[in-house]
Amino acid sequence: MIGLAKGLAYTLKNLTRKKVTYAYPNEPLPLPDRFRGIQKFYPEKCIVCNQCVTICPTDCIQLTGIKHPDSSKKGKKIIDTYDINFEICILCDLCTEVCPTEAIVMTNNFELAEYSRDELFKNLEWLDENDENIRKVNKV
Amino acid sequence: MIRIEEMLLNVGPQHPSTHGVFRLVIKIDGEIIKEATPVIGYLHRGTEKLAENLQYTQIIPYTDRMDYLAAMTNNYVLCHAVETMMDLKIPDRAEYLRVLSMELGRVASHLVWWGTFLLDLGATSPFLYAFREREMIINLLNELSGARLTFNYMRVGGVKWDAPEGWIEKVRDFVPYMREQLKGYHQLVTGNEIFMNRVKGIGAYTKEDALNYSLSGANLRCTGVKWDLRKDEPYSIYDRFDFDVPVRESGDAWARYHCRIEEIEESLKIIEQCVEQFPSDGPIMAKVPKIVKVPKGEGFVRIESPRGEIGCYIASEGKKEPYRLKFRRPSFYNLQILPKLLQGENMANLVTILGAIDIVLGEVDG
Amino acid sequence: MIQDLLISEPSLLNATIFLLLAVLFLFVVLGFVTYAILSERKVMGLMQMRIGPNQLGGRWGLLQTVADVLKLLLKEDTIPKLADRPLFIIAPILAFAPSFMVLAVLPLTDKLQFADIGVGLLYYVAISGITTVGIVTAGWSSNNKYALIGGMRAAAQMISYEIPLVMSLVGVVLLTGSLNLNEIVAAQENLWFIVLQPVAFLIFIIASVAELNRVPFDLPEAESELVAGYFVEYSGFRWAMFMLSEYVYMFAMASLTTVLFLGGWNSLPFLGFIPAAVWFALKFSAVVFLLIWIRITLPRLRSDQLMEFGWKVLLPIALANIMVTAILKELFPNIF
Repeated sequence: MIGLAKGLAYTLKNLTRKKVTYAYPNEPLPLPDRFRGIQKFYPEKCIVCNQCVTICPTDCIQLTGIKHPDSSKKGKKIIDTYDINFEICILCDLCTEVCPTEAIVMTNNFELAEYSRDELFKNLEWLDENDENIRKVNKV
Repeated sequence: MIRIEEMLLNVGPQHPSTHGVFRLVIKIDGEIIKEATPVIGYLHRGTEKLAENLQYTQIIPYTDRMDYLAAMTNNYVLCHAVETMMDLKIPDRAEYLRVLSMELGRVASHLVWWGTFLLDLGATSPFLYAFREREMIINLLNELSGARLTFNYMRVGGVKWDAPEGWIEKVRDFVPYMREQLKGYHQLVTGNEIFMNRVKGIGAYTKEDALNYSLSGANLRCTGVKWDLRKDEPYSIYDRFDFDVPVRESGDAWARYHCRIEEIEESLKIIEQCVEQFPSDGPIMAKVPKIVKVPKGEGFVRIESPRGEIGCYIASEGKKEPYRLKFRRPSFYNLQILPKLLQGENMANLVTILGAIDIVLGEVDG
Repeated sequence: MIQDLLISEPSLLNATIFLLLAVLFLFVVLGFVTYAILSERKVMGLMQMRIGPNQLGGRWGLLQTVADVLKLLLKEDTIPKLADRPLFIIAPILAFAPSFMVLAVLPLTDKLQFADIGVGLLYYVAISGITTVGIVTAGWSSNNKYALIGGMRAAAQMISYEIPLVMSLVGVVLLTGSLNLNEIVAAQENLWFIVLQPVAFLIFIIASVAELNRVPFDLPEAESELVAGYFVEYSGFRWAMFMLSEYVYMFAMASLTTVLFLGGWNSLPFLGFIPAAVWFALKFSAVVFLLIWIRITLPRLRSDQLMEFGWKVLLPIALANIMVTAILKELFPNIF
């Protein structure tokens, strides 16, 4: 009976202690800068090196490049299409890690639910416009 | 006319206390279990096969998803295996960060076990108390690695991120707080007579059984075998810390409960010493070629995860992908003793026994 | 007033008045159930470092249960194909009706009572036993293995805990010399029976928690073992009936505890200026809080331990209590 009484005392003590729950979704969740949300893409920085496609463990990135319109920069390419299939992206951060120009970076946006699977297919325009809560430090 | 018939009952895969998608076909006579057959594989993703087509860095996020309650140890076992085969020297600071994150993960994992085990026994509050503390650990690891569960934090040769500013101090403050909470846990649960009656003598097995079934972790130590790889085969920098290996003799759920609760205390000791010895400066990555290639040959390493011995076997042909990758997943081995333990037990003991083994289905199914 | 009605000639008018009163009382009880569930969730939340319902009806979530009930009533009514249809339909009614019937004899204050029956206590115990039949019926008719085990557990548990429950009451009855609940309250004007019968009170509380199927005795619906026990196949308003009967029994049991051991509506000395109804409500709330508090803290017992505890511990102590009470009453007739 002593053990039961001790337990009862513990729960009673907790009745008045400070509550620890978050007020999410009424208030946004405080997230550290390093948090990995959906990517932001800077098309002007991309040099079409294809490293992010190679490193992606789930093969969810697809990109195509075209020849640089400025004919003086021969052999260079610019990005044409850039798609991330968010149905299978696991937000592992490897694409941003390998990117030499930080053209693809993580944001803190994690509210990604959609009504249709089609909307999970993020293309270049979407990723370019996704410019809120961008991670400040991307590489150590 | 009275007809006596055994009843075949499917416990799971959708059942509140099978801790995931685990199915158990039991034959019961009244409330006594005559025979139990575990059915696994509902969460099988073929990690080992997938790994054969992936570079070593790419496999790390997959290991996160095996034992998702202690992903750091899984990260480590793969990196450790690759590093051992490549003969890499890891910088000190990286090792300390690894140990810190692994031990924090161990505390978090045991907290989840503690909460869910008591939830299985019908007590609702411990679950929420445990998750209150776990949330703090998760937040710490989130700050460190950028994810709450699937950290993908370690890399071959070091870690991805250095500790952010003020992080070490936060970890230091967490240790005394957690010790204080542990006292509360003992007050709430450990002395509770109903709880003692539910776990004492339940699911007991002998030392020989435990060794024959190749159990590991707390499931082995509860029978009196003092075997902890952190002590007996020190890897990383565990030889620099002073800690004990909690052991019990009786081999029942009560012994396992004590082993795990005390392991939390020991992990806190390690974290404390780790914070004290933390090097003020230094690199967090060793010099590793951009594309990791493991030299031709085979290698096996094993480390102590919260659930037991997790091992990683790599057969390499000198390419950037492994030829064959095999994980020794402790939950899978620990689960094998379940049918033996359940035989002749009361139906209500089923959840106690299953809970005390502490399985993670992501790891069982691989 | 009701007493007059009870002894008057039967007529259509009488029947209508009774019906209206019953409906009125049903709504009072429903109001209690609504807020008992809310307070349980709220207290549970606060003790578990959460806030509890706070969305619907202001920050205290005052309309949360109303919304839940509305949702349950609007839900599709499903009956499993292989269930025993008539029994499946009748089971919730069998479980609920007695819980409402027992309320008739409970005296809330000296004026607020439906029926002042001579054997009120016996009536309560007898009628509340019918609920077990409803629960077993539900478990059987669902044609589900978990439900069957739950139903069997419920039958075993409720029958074996009814005996210590009644035995613990015998002490009170010995002291009062009556089974009438009003007279039991009147006998406690100077000293509550919790002081004279502490052992009986303890047994009564334990047995009543078991009768209410609440933690730590919630084996028939043990969530982690039997998913939901006997009502695993029920949904919508049929499920709501079971929940309702559970909470109405909580109301009845808390009232009965107050009446039998906490002096009913009698006030503490020198505090007689506070109305009787308030006293009753206070004591009643304390009992309900105790029930909620126990539920939050304790783990569940195992079925065989439960049986052992009932037959080998509670029953002998209850019998010994009767003996001691009888001897004490004979030796010190002034105090007892």
